[in-house]
Amino acid sequence: MSKSTEQVLKDRTLLGTPGAGGRAVGSPVIINSERKAVKPEKISEDRIADETELLDNALDELVNEFEGLKSINDEEDVKEVVETQIQLLCDPELKKSILGKITEQRFKAVFAIFSSFNEYIQILENSNTNWLRDRTIDIVSIRDQLIDTVRNKQPDYIKADDGVIFAEELSPTEMIKLSRFKLAGIVTEKGGLTSHVVILAQSLGIPCVIGVDWKPMRPDDFDRIMIDGDVGSVMFDPTDKLVEDVETYNKERLKKQEIALQWASEPDLTECGSSFTIRANIEFVSELPRIKTHGARGIGLLRTETILFEKDGFDIDSQVAFYRQVAEAAGDDPVTIRLFDAGGDKLPENHEEEHNPFLGWRGIRMLLDKPELLRKQYEAILRVSADFKGKLQILVPMISHVQQIQQSRLILEDVKKELKKSGDDFDPEIPFGIMIEVPSIAMMAAEAAQEVDFFSIGTNDLTQYMLAVDRGNSKISNLYQPSHPSVWRVIELVAKAAKKAKIQVSVCGEMASNPLYAACFLGLGIDDLSMTTNSIPAVKEMLCSHSLKEFKEKSNQVLRARTYEEVDSIFQQWKKTLELYHI
Amino acid sequence: MRKKKVTVLNEAGLHARPSSTLVKTASGFKSDLQIEMYGYRVNGKSILGLMTLAAEQGSEMELIVEGPDEDEAIEALIKLFENKFNRE
Repeated sequence: MSKSTEQVLKDRTLLGTPGAGGRAVGSPVIINSERKAVKPEKISEDRIADETELLDNALDELVNEFEGLKSINDEEDVKEVVETQIQLLCDPELKKSILGKITEQRFKAVFAIFSSFNEYIQILENSNTNWLRDRTIDIVSIRDQLIDTVRNKQPDYIKADDGVIFAEELSPTEMIKLSRFKLAGIVTEKGGLTSHVVILAQSLGIPCVIGVDWKPMRPDDFDRIMIDGDVGSVMFDPTDKLVEDVETYNKERLKKQEIALQWASEPDLTECGSSFTIRANIEFVSELPRIKTHGARGIGLLRTETILFEKDGFDIDSQVAFYRQVAEAAGDDPVTIRLFDAGGDKLPENHEEEHNPFLGWRGIRMLLDKPELLRKQYEAILRVSADFKGKLQILVPMISHVQQIQQSRLILEDVKKELKKSGDDFDPEIPFGIMIEVPSIAMMAAEAAQEVDFFSIGTNDLTQYMLAVDRGNSKISNLYQPSHPSVWRVIELVAKAAKKAKIQVSVCGEMASNPLYAACFLGLGIDDLSMTTNSIPAVKEMLCSHSLKEFKEKSNQVLRARTYEEVDSIFQQWKKTLELYHI
Repeated sequence: MRKKKVTVLNEAGLHARPSSTLVKTASGFKSDLQIEMYGYRVNGKSILGLMTLAAEQGSEMELIVEGPDEDEAIEALIKLFENKFNRE
């Protein structure tokens, strides 16, 4: 029975949750799906040569490595042990078995190695001879070294250009590695809508679909993958016509963006003439050009974790170079540098695991325990401030206790003193502010305001801590409600405290990217917003084309709402009355 | 083709290092080496194959050598078994 074209296409399409908008076509690139376990993944016929080459190269590399070990060791015993390892790698029967699994059974090299070794290991483990059972440990170790070597040789990151990434989930570190390539799209099995992957994909403008059960499709078997981040679909081997449609769509989208970008050059004034400021959230150097094109007035949030994840991140010089590049890109506008906000889901890979990382050792908690790291970052920022006086600001993440403000400030003053002693120039008045993202400090905003120059409200973490909902957990992501009345009320409380203490307050969380929420922040008296550059034109269009009076009315309604549903319906109704290009 | 029955004389049997020495010696020749023990046959140039024999002291096995240098090869191998793999 032949299937209709429509049915065939449907069978080749997987649906997930839209993570980041846009459509694209690319070739599949599978990442880390097999890092944890070796799975019996099969390959298409034209991959056989590639996989056997991977095997040969890995064998050569390891043998060379062991030969090197042998040559630098004079101990005969060591030499013999190494010699045995080389013999294992050169074992003709083993290689025959692995090759057979690749070429005949069409398994990936990694699985072929795993399976062939295991056949021997099983025989030896069942042996009655003690020394043989002990040998299996060495053989397992060789097996794993060989698998690791093959994996390092896999072109995961090399062929990522124009690739559609398939992953179980991506750690922020992996995202950073991948951000160096021009990705066509990202498909993940896990992750919630506000996970780091999604936020980064949005800010980099890469279509992303999450919650896709892609493994059974074996993406490797297909040449072309079409991803639609707007509806959340992934199609394997789309027709030429569909690919053409994507190209047309992207051209039109570009045109639309250009129209939206016209708002970028408009003055930052509401319809009634009251002023506001929109700044950019920046993490990658590649985003810097968008500050100007999208009409941001500087950077409201510079994430510095990228440096932490890069190899020599702790090095002052590389930090100085990064901050300088960013400050230069911002022109005359200010740059708020957030201290390393590592921990939680952004844990560098070499950290010990915590049971509850979001409530754990992160942000300023980690920095105060690692003062040398904090001092280095302060020093790097201060050094750059010499050439950008009045432009740089320091923002401290994850403050939950007022004492942490005082402690981190003391260290800053100490670093300043040292720089002064050594005759180094810096901005002595550099503003010092804190993130408001933990409910405890939000409730103590009046007291905290006495200690700092500004507040920056991080709505993502604030929401998850207010509602006790892990934003990366897809099982409860429906409970992650940034516009829950409790969140609005606590934001209002913080805004009032800041106003009373006459300090600046801004919102730098994802909530600010929603044009309607942004409008409500203005209504609450928060006129300084920072967001991913891609969201700026739409927000600006909203703010420029309406009056503050309207925003105040809406924010008052929202503050009176008793449930999330009530807030939601206020926004839904409001949305209907608006004729905005983007929403 | 040359065949010869040999006995493992080493106290510890054909464990890791003797296996390694045997593979090294066999690999020095062009001829193929098959080793048969209790009806089970393995490639004598395969260290894993030799290990699976789990040959202990006193085990008897047959060396089967075939190739251009089979005479030299079988002589060298027999000597190796007799010399307890140059150990002890």
